[in-house]
Amino acid sequence: MNGISASVIPIVMFSVALIILSSNKPHFDAFLVGAAEGAKTCAKLLPALCALLVAIEMLFASGAIDVVGKYLSDFTEAVGIPSGMLPLMLTRPVSGAASAATYSELLKEYGADSYTGLCASILMGSSDTVIYILSVYFSAAGVKRTRYAFAAAFIVMLFSIFFSAYLCRLFFGFS
Amino acid sequence: MLGKCFSVICIVSVIFAMCTKNISNLSNAVVDGASRAVELSLSLLGVMCLWSGLMELLRSAGVVRKIAQILRPILRLAFPRAFKTGIGAEEITMNISANMLGIGNAATPFAIAAMKAMREGQIKNGNKESTEGVDLDVATDDMITLAVLNASSLDLLPTTIIALRRAAGSADPYSIIVPVWICSAAGSVLAVLLCRFFAVIFRQKKRRQEGGCGQGYTRRVDNVKSIGGHNKEDMRSTRAGAP
Repeated sequence: MNGISASVIPIVMFSVALIILSSNKPHFDAFLVGAAEGAKTCAKLLPALCALLVAIEMLFASGAIDVVGKYLSDFTEAVGIPSGMLPLMLTRPVSGAASAATYSELLKEYGADSYTGLCASILMGSSDTVIYILSVYFSAAGVKRTRYAFAAAFIVMLFSIFFSAYLCRLFFGFS
Repeated sequence: MLGKCFSVICIVSVIFAMCTKNISNLSNAVVDGASRAVELSLSLLGVMCLWSGLMELLRSAGVVRKIAQILRPILRLAFPRAFKTGIGAEEITMNISANMLGIGNAATPFAIAAMKAMREGQIKNGNKESTEGVDLDVATDDMITLAVLNASSLDLLPTTIIALRRAAGSADPYSIIVPVWICSAAGSVLAVLLCRFFAVIFRQKKRRQEGGCGQGYTRRVDNVKSIGGHNKEDMRSTRAGAP
């Protein structure tokens, strides 16, 4: 399994190199356009990240996480989710920048290869900003009544939380 | 939304810091947080540059289209109506393929185009379809499936997460790729199944409402064999369901 995980990026790089060589189209120019776009996206992220990281860092420093974690740890342990995931679970559905800030703070606090860190990584990779996406899509289509959309999306999110903790135990041998 | 998020977290932190006498830590945290934001964006900048570039390259080389072709038969099951009528089907496949490659910038316009196409399709076909009516403020089943599927991640290459894990000093930042695939795949399958399930539930509820006084009434009419001016489809369905 680790072999697959480690070879994904080399495979992508190799295929991209083949694509560039095997065609006469200016594919490398497309790369440069995309890279410039990526740099812009990252620069646009900084202001939001600045405010949110300050807030999240304050939250961790205030001891609020420890206090809440202490009360909830029995409950979260019973259902198999590390209590350190709570801040991420709250920010993930709302905003990409906020969850990235929470996630990086969480990695710093618990370590990237800890149970909490790995669970958070899997959750970050397999969930998205539910509230943001649903509101953008439906408002773009001019739809007002979304019926069961939010219910379904949140059930999926909840499932991802539990399943990421389960996969973490399965793959990385945490008990 | 972000403003509220920020304010709530700040207020909670200050109150907690006062209670736990952590005020000096809190002051440090403010300064640290601001400089960590720069650190974080710098550690992401290179990867985001590289990855957006690679994805733009794949897009221009037609890889997204290839993936769309492969996905078509699978997506047919998730979006029965869009694929039956052909309305929005192309945009949906392109959106899902772009999402799988992590090209968010390309995926969102496709999704919005698909939503608009489906809405316009509703205006054209609204009268013929008995299940969803003509009310344009209401999302159709396929619209909801698309939105929910997008809200559960489809990303095959969680590059941002790998970069952040590496920045946090992980010994093996790539180790999460396979679990992320499994979790994303399971989440997406669940998203589609849930949407189909809810769609069926809603359709039954609506049919029951349209059938006047409900099943009991139609069945009684059926027994008396007075085939009057009632909703024929409703009666047919009750007859089929009768033991």
